[in-house]
Amino acid sequence: MTEYFGTTVADIFATMPKRFKPEEAKEVDIAIGYEATGEGGGKWKATIKHGTLKVETVEGELTDCKTTIHTDAETFVGVTLGMIGALDALSSQKLRVAGDPKFLMLLLPKIFTPYVAPAKKPDAVTARDIIATLAERFRPEKAEGVAMTIGYDLAGEGGGRWTIIIRDGKCAVREGLADPLTVKMTMEAKTYAGMMVGTIEAVTAFTSGQVKIEGDMAAAGATAKYFRKYVVPGATEAEELISLRVTNSIEQRFATGPVMGRWFAGIREKKFLANRCPKCGRTQIPPREICAWCRVRVHEFVEVGPKGVVTHFDIVYFASPDPLTGAVRDTPYATVYVVLDGATEREAITVDLKKEDIPRLKEGARVRPVWAEVTTGSYRDLIGVELDEEEGSL
Amino acid sequence: MATKRVAICAVAQHKNDSDLWHKRFQGMLLDVLEELQAQTGFTFDEETGVNTIVSCSDDFFDARTISDNGVTDVLGAQYRGEEKMAQEGLNAVGYAQAVILSGYADLVLVMGHCKESQSESRRMIANMGFDPFYGRAVGLDNLNAAALQARAYMKKAGLTEEQLAGIVVRARQFAARNPYANAREIVEAGTVIASPQLCDPIRQLHAYPVSDGAVGMLLASEERAAEFTDKPVWIAGFANCMDSYFLGDRDLTANFALKQAAGRAYRKAGIADPKKEIGLVEVMDAYAYQQPLWLEGLGLCGDGKGARFLDQGGQEKYRVNLSGGMLAGNPVIIAGLYRAAEAALQLKGEAGERQAPDLHRAVAHSTTGAAGQFHSVLILER
Amino acid sequence: MKMHVKNRNVAIIGIGQTSFSSHKEDQNQAEMVQEAVIRALADAGLKIGDIDCIVHGNMELFEMQFAPDLWHSLGTGAYGKDEYRITTGGTTGATLVCAADNLVASGLYNTVLAIGMEKLQEGNTTGGITNMADPLWFRNLQTGALTGTTAQEMIDEFGEERAKRAAMRYRIMMDKHAMLNPRAHRRFGLEYSQMEDLMANSPPLVGELRLIHMCSQSDGACAMIFTSEEKVKQGTKNPPVWIRDHIQIHREETIPNLFGFNKPEVTHHYAARTLFARNGIQDPVAYFDVFEMYDPSAWWAVDWLREFFLLKGDEHLRMLEAGDFDLDGRIPINPSGGVIASNPIGATAMLRPAEAALQIRGDAGGHQIKKEVRHALASGFGGTFWSVLMILEKELNWQEVSHD
Repeated sequence: MTEYFGTTVADIFATMPKRFKPEEAKEVDIAIGYEATGEGGGKWKATIKHGTLKVETVEGELTDCKTTIHTDAETFVGVTLGMIGALDALSSQKLRVAGDPKFLMLLLPKIFTPYVAPAKKPDAVTARDIIATLAERFRPEKAEGVAMTIGYDLAGEGGGRWTIIIRDGKCAVREGLADPLTVKMTMEAKTYAGMMVGTIEAVTAFTSGQVKIEGDMAAAGATAKYFRKYVVPGATEAEELISLRVTNSIEQRFATGPVMGRWFAGIREKKFLANRCPKCGRTQIPPREICAWCRVRVHEFVEVGPKGVVTHFDIVYFASPDPLTGAVRDTPYATVYVVLDGATEREAITVDLKKEDIPRLKEGARVRPVWAEVTTGSYRDLIGVELDEEEGSL
Repeated sequence: MATKRVAICAVAQHKNDSDLWHKRFQGMLLDVLEELQAQTGFTFDEETGVNTIVSCSDDFFDARTISDNGVTDVLGAQYRGEEKMAQEGLNAVGYAQAVILSGYADLVLVMGHCKESQSESRRMIANMGFDPFYGRAVGLDNLNAAALQARAYMKKAGLTEEQLAGIVVRARQFAARNPYANAREIVEAGTVIASPQLCDPIRQLHAYPVSDGAVGMLLASEERAAEFTDKPVWIAGFANCMDSYFLGDRDLTANFALKQAAGRAYRKAGIADPKKEIGLVEVMDAYAYQQPLWLEGLGLCGDGKGARFLDQGGQEKYRVNLSGGMLAGNPVIIAGLYRAAEAALQLKGEAGERQAPDLHRAVAHSTTGAAGQFHSVLILER
Repeated sequence: MKMHVKNRNVAIIGIGQTSFSSHKEDQNQAEMVQEAVIRALADAGLKIGDIDCIVHGNMELFEMQFAPDLWHSLGTGAYGKDEYRITTGGTTGATLVCAADNLVASGLYNTVLAIGMEKLQEGNTTGGITNMADPLWFRNLQTGALTGTTAQEMIDEFGEERAKRAAMRYRIMMDKHAMLNPRAHRRFGLEYSQMEDLMANSPPLVGELRLIHMCSQSDGACAMIFTSEEKVKQGTKNPPVWIRDHIQIHREETIPNLFGFNKPEVTHHYAARTLFARNGIQDPVAYFDVFEMYDPSAWWAVDWLREFFLLKGDEHLRMLEAGDFDLDGRIPINPSGGVIASNPIGATAMLRPAEAALQIRGDAGGHQIKKEVRHALASGFGGTFWSVLMILEKELNWQEVSHD
């Protein structure tokens, strides 16, 4: 029998009677057909009637089934084990359901224990159900000093509009959207529910545009830690796996040396000192000990700039956290590549552009440096550049 | 058909120093590179020059992801191949040998650097070499792991405080003749014995001093070596070996990994009896007790006979660490690369005041990890 | 062009991958490595005792684990064996394959096991990449590997509509491939009908580089086993895949000097040109049956196809638009779903030759190319535009090619 993810389709059906919960199926009267294609596949029919279960393999057509599931054997096992998201399988059409898929997703977890204990199936819990548990899942100890209002606009069945208010170590949930909101998240109700029960990855939903966030992105990301994880009612909690949280830090003291040192000495005087390769003539910024192209030591320093031309730029909407402090910058911000006056044509320098100048930024724009009030000989001396519009652009 | 033998054509060392505060490691490497080029005249020409560089450095010590990216320029690696040995640098020599024997390159430049002074705590970095759950939590680092090993070994071999002090005194005497050594001041046994305990039984002067350094070598195929030197030093064998991770799983005095590595290296070099065939040894002795322990592992001294070996002049018989060894100060990431450089200089007859006569074969050794979890052995011959 | 003659031929005889996921709380680093190793050994039909040497690689600062091979030896099986740890940033996995190739070809080792791994969720990935920059200058400015400049350059060259559609077509194609690969981390089930919606609505990161264009951050490991031609002749469980040649091209430390008024030759182009020339491959598109490319973003991927295949003008866009890079196209790109779908960084560049080798063997499963795969190309990317490129072959008969 062909194995997928370490097990077979046949075993899933063979264990069905063991996993059946007759007391949950007293009111149920249904026949479900299964067709799993490919190696290790086959056809099965599960007949559930007033607390009894009959599982049989079927040769030929599946008949008299209220609902039938069609998929390949691998997907079937994957979905059963939770290795493949059921919604992913459904949306990619790898798993098709004739009849009402929602009904099945509701029913099956109720009348069967999961095939493998820790595997959780997408449940029929609605976004409304989950929102209703928010207040009791609130962790005041994690939300000390936090004041924010989070709006959820969840479309579709089980959805609605809610505002979560976190203030003074308390959490309240109100119907409707308040104004103003710290952050507003708009998505399908089933996307929200999927993320909460763990069948949809939050990053995936966000990346593919299923979740729209307006307002403070960082706040949106932080909300999860203010609440205990949602657990589907009736589901046994998976064994808790402990993660250690540690911040590692090693003090460092960097030598600048005679070459970088010269650059910083220049920066302190608000000057850009490049060093010029004796062979190819390129002006290196910041200067390096050697010209990598010519493989010769570079001794001569030349002053370039202070003004220059923007060759390329990046408008950054996603701020990289500072690797040491974790601090995140305000977005959007612009990083520009500038060839300073007198520098050779390939040797751009990267700097931030003044925020107010972003709307008027274009390639070829002329810029001038913005220096710190007090310069000490470090990268902090150069705050960035601003547009130099008196001279016009190229 | 590819080459059968690989030569070390030239070596260059940056002087070891406790705090090269005035120099970036890029500048240190550039000095080494220029000296190698001055010695051999090699270029980075696409057809006839160095196209493959094996570097050695560490992301933690350099405080940068992809530490070799910070030195690509000064390695000459612009539009050339470069690979970073992210272990102790002796392994870079072993790997460079394989690159040449494979036929992919006929010249390989090996360049290693480390500024231990840049990180304010090398012990903190060593602590992060343990698993985050148990090893780090109990505060293990290379020093206190070594102390466990030192105590066990001193008991097994009957090693005394006086003998440990003697190892340090001798190391300094040789270091004084080595212009590249860091700690070159002569010390008295009494001073060693009176130096403060770092981690009992390891005293301050039993431990290698914080050091900054850089080393480079040019390796060539047998066919091309003569273009760069008339005194090639041949790689006769190289092997390394990993021991188990948990200290509790090991007999700390048994030298399992070193014996395996040495055995494999000797076999490759066709050495049946190292006691008869090895003329000089450079071992990576981060702590004084390690010198006799590693010599046991290398098969030059009987198991548990370290104390007698010292008393009977074993160090002079096998010309152990005429460079002063790591006890005179090398950065931990490239201490073995320094060992190989010194062994190569001895075989070339270019070791200056520390030169030993009549050498044919030498061993360079290095180790990584807590209490010698990993060992590497390089056999060189004239 | 200088030809080298390999001392002896080297084959890939075992491949093991973990699944790739954004969370593997059920495994620590050593356990995750072990999973890949066990799978590679099973694939090769070997036991750990058959391995002479281990090669390990990842990036220390992503997990903040110094000399990680020491702890990971619990999972790599290195105990009592020779072991090397070689790293080159994003290219690490590909470098490990080159290293294993070198070590076996040298004759010093017969059978080598190489392992690339990363557990990105145990650290801060973008922060880790930002740490590449010199601590004295530029570290305060870099945003990991995120940049919108390539998007802007393509928009400038080909027009906004065509450039954006090309990037999104590539992205959806990768997702379609990933959907066929059960190990892939991100499998969205995207359809080409969603192109306009995604172009407009996927959250922007930098300029026109949107979240949907960018690769994932994954946990996972890949292990591969290499052996000599002599050993292959004694029989292998699965068909051997031969490593014909590899090239590694690094460049200088600084990034901004790629963004002046004109550019130096792109490393990918240099690597491809050099590698193809010395192997007598005149028309790479015609020669290769598959290309597993290290594609950190959809924009870079489209742009780099031109470099790797030595194409001119808009040839690469026309090929993309015509479906030439699709799974059933002329030269399928990344049947696995590529880096965009799964990206455990230290393993990522090893997954490229691993997946290419599976294609040659015909063992890629759901994402197997239907036509026969005889010649495969695989690339790695890292550092400041470093490039690794290698040629894999089904047959040991390539001398004929190099002489035409």
